[in-house]
Amino acid sequence: MAFDKMELRDIEVWDGNFAAAQAMRQVQIDVVAAYPITPSTPIVEGYAKFLADGYVEGEFVMVESEHAAMSGCIGAAAAGGRVATATSSQGFALMVETLYQSSGMRLPIVLNVVNRALAAPLNVNGDHSDMYLGRDSGWIQLDAYSPQEAYDLNFIAFKVSEDHDVRLPCMVHQDGFMTSHTAQGVKTFTDEVAYDFVGEYKPMNDMLDLDHPVTHGVQTEEDWHFEHKARQHNDLMTKVMPKIQEVFDAFEELSGRKYNIVEQYDMDDADVAVVCMGTSVETAREVAKEMRAEGIKAGVVGIRVLRPYPFAQIIEALKDIKSIAALDRSSPNGAPGMLFNELAGALYNTDSKATLSGYVYGLGGRDLTKAHLTDLYKELQANADAGKVLTPLQQFIGVRGPKLTFL
Amino acid sequence: MSEIKKIKNLKEFSTSADRFEGANLLCPGCAHSIIVREVLNATNDDLILSAATGCLEVCTAVYPYTSWDASWIHIGFENGSTAVAGAEAMHKALKRKGRLKQDRDPKFVSFAGDGASYDIGFQWISGCFERGHNMMHVVLDNEVYANTGGQRSSSTPIGSSATTSPAGRISYGEKKNKKDMLAIMAAHGSPYVAQVAPNKWKNMIKAIQHGFEAEGPVFINAMSACTTEWKFAPEDTIAISDLATDSLVFPLYEIIDGQKLNITYRPKNVVPVEEYLAAQGRFKHLFKDQYKYLIKEWQERVDQKWDYLQRREEASV
Amino acid sequence: MENNGWSEFEIGAMLRSFEGPATNIATTHTEDRNYSASNSFTASVADWRIEKPVFNKDYCIDCQFCWIYCPDMSIISRDKKMIGVDMDHCKGCGICVEVCPTNPKSLLMFQEQHDDEVALAEWPEKETKEK
Repeated sequence: MAFDKMELRDIEVWDGNFAAAQAMRQVQIDVVAAYPITPSTPIVEGYAKFLADGYVEGEFVMVESEHAAMSGCIGAAAAGGRVATATSSQGFALMVETLYQSSGMRLPIVLNVVNRALAAPLNVNGDHSDMYLGRDSGWIQLDAYSPQEAYDLNFIAFKVSEDHDVRLPCMVHQDGFMTSHTAQGVKTFTDEVAYDFVGEYKPMNDMLDLDHPVTHGVQTEEDWHFEHKARQHNDLMTKVMPKIQEVFDAFEELSGRKYNIVEQYDMDDADVAVVCMGTSVETAREVAKEMRAEGIKAGVVGIRVLRPYPFAQIIEALKDIKSIAALDRSSPNGAPGMLFNELAGALYNTDSKATLSGYVYGLGGRDLTKAHLTDLYKELQANADAGKVLTPLQQFIGVRGPKLTFL
Repeated sequence: MSEIKKIKNLKEFSTSADRFEGANLLCPGCAHSIIVREVLNATNDDLILSAATGCLEVCTAVYPYTSWDASWIHIGFENGSTAVAGAEAMHKALKRKGRLKQDRDPKFVSFAGDGASYDIGFQWISGCFERGHNMMHVVLDNEVYANTGGQRSSSTPIGSSATTSPAGRISYGEKKNKKDMLAIMAAHGSPYVAQVAPNKWKNMIKAIQHGFEAEGPVFINAMSACTTEWKFAPEDTIAISDLATDSLVFPLYEIIDGQKLNITYRPKNVVPVEEYLAAQGRFKHLFKDQYKYLIKEWQERVDQKWDYLQRREEASV
Repeated sequence: MENNGWSEFEIGAMLRSFEGPATNIATTHTEDRNYSASNSFTASVADWRIEKPVFNKDYCIDCQFCWIYCPDMSIISRDKKMIGVDMDHCKGCGICVEVCPTNPKSLLMFQEQHDDEVALAEWPEKETKEK
């Protein structure tokens, strides 16, 4: 069966979902096993339409649940070929068992996660609860803030994940609706350039090498389990970041678009900084510029690579900052926010004298407004001036009712 | 399509070279292994295998050892069928793209217990069958969660004492009848479903070979007499299996294309169900006066099912 | 593979059945296979046994019932002949003895420590069926 190349304009107007679907088409995935769920559904639909129109040569397996989607991806990846899927929220939660299995089996699978809140109560809109749920699963997690980035990071994800020194699955996150359903200009690659960047899939320990039978998914008990988990952690800690940097560099050379493990905006001379992820980064960048007009040296740090956690890069980015805000878009449910904890963990043994305060925002798709961020930067400046946090350490912003603060 | 392996008789069959290895950790006398051997030895083609979490899986791939001489994968309890379906999809894709390392067509087989098939893995199997993957799902049906110590599954028959449906002072054990998986899988339109038992090896090999030749998802329910949970001596595995097939508690039949039912084994001398029950510790309590009526009910149920199967066969439906 | 450290094994806890390529395994018997150290064939469960089967070839008719019903791939048959029991992999379940149709049986269970030669010397006579 032949398949056709698709002619793209240099700049297409795509939303994040379609950008991801186009990237999946261009890397010529061998097997996509998928199940639709809002707001990632259009990725799966887009891919299905490419198949129906003859632009895809691989297998598309429309399974009966997200758990089966990842299970099918694991079987296909172990068999030996390029594999990807997409999901969100409840579907992601249903996949969790298999997320640990795929990473533990060291199978390169790319999962587009269109971030959405987790029930209950049920909610279809974007927050980072599902992204946070995946953070201990042993996957690489890349975060896109725009349709362009959703497109670009897919190529980077395949190239990193499939590298034989890495062999770890990779999620590409984007915010539900705010990115996934918002059309913007996306600079495209031709099909040839896109495929050549990622390259042909190189099998490893593949079940379909019939002359070299392999066993995948063994049992290890107290005598072996720790060593295997240690190996996986070691590889995440030591092998993945250099590979990501290498691929970021190659990507910049190809496209002129530069990605960083930790993104920094207006950080060179900043006194105060907001650390956040997803579409909030763009909002914060705009507000930071406005704050500078008011004399506050405001900067923004965006986490591009959430896992492995960019410990050293975070320390470097925040080393001269006086006052830091960690913005968590997921209910910590009885704890400080994840970013708050992880920034604190990174900075604790350094010379940083920065104050650190946590904010929980945007749950279930609630807007983070420029006004929220303006107030927030002013609080940071006050903290910087006082040399201590003047507010409670955890504040909820944008929620109705009496002001909600803890710690 | 590759040639069907010729197995005229047991002597000829015994020239097979097993692709399943010893020093696995299955109990002495476990029928799982006998079933696996008969399935694997029914073909000389390449195999891509999976196992759901369960006795077979935890006993054959405990690091740093594997007992499998063909590529094998385990993911979890519920998704062994989908694991093999994913591999089958990859084979199709790579074949189409001309990227197979060896241009051969392996058989795709998933093994799972009754718990992993009738209960927790039911949805995954249903999905695989609806989608029509070219694969065989083999249930190692020992009618209980044996790996975790004998809890009831939806394959556990009435009156069996399982750890979560124990017989006691006021209970005769499991209250629900065994789920009719063959009917359910036939209703998926599967080209071939069959109930087999390893003691009737020739019958079983025929069914497995029929299944391997079929295009699409094939369902095999293989009775696996469990020395540990059925509570009989390890050397009696085949004798107990004979009682099961010859009492018609475990009738052997096939359904072709979801429609045509054939009985594939008719015992020369039908054994009373009571003999089958009496040979196993899990039914011991049924022989107390208060529960003896259940033995009579068992016999009636078995007679009714046999009658039903015969009528369907006769009517060719 | 005994107790290797975390850096000394294949990622993903993957195991190989054989060393090097293994073609036509379905028609290659154990003695001609190049098993890897991680194939359980290289291990033994002999210490599971309390009783062991002893094979008396004088009475064997090569029916292969023991071969087909052995759960542990431990009945060694070559060229349609039963040639012995693989004592590394036999767990001593006794199925082979139960299914043996000859009279007297060609396989009998003995205590693990019992001497094979003595066992063969003590082999029972043909049983006459009482009607």
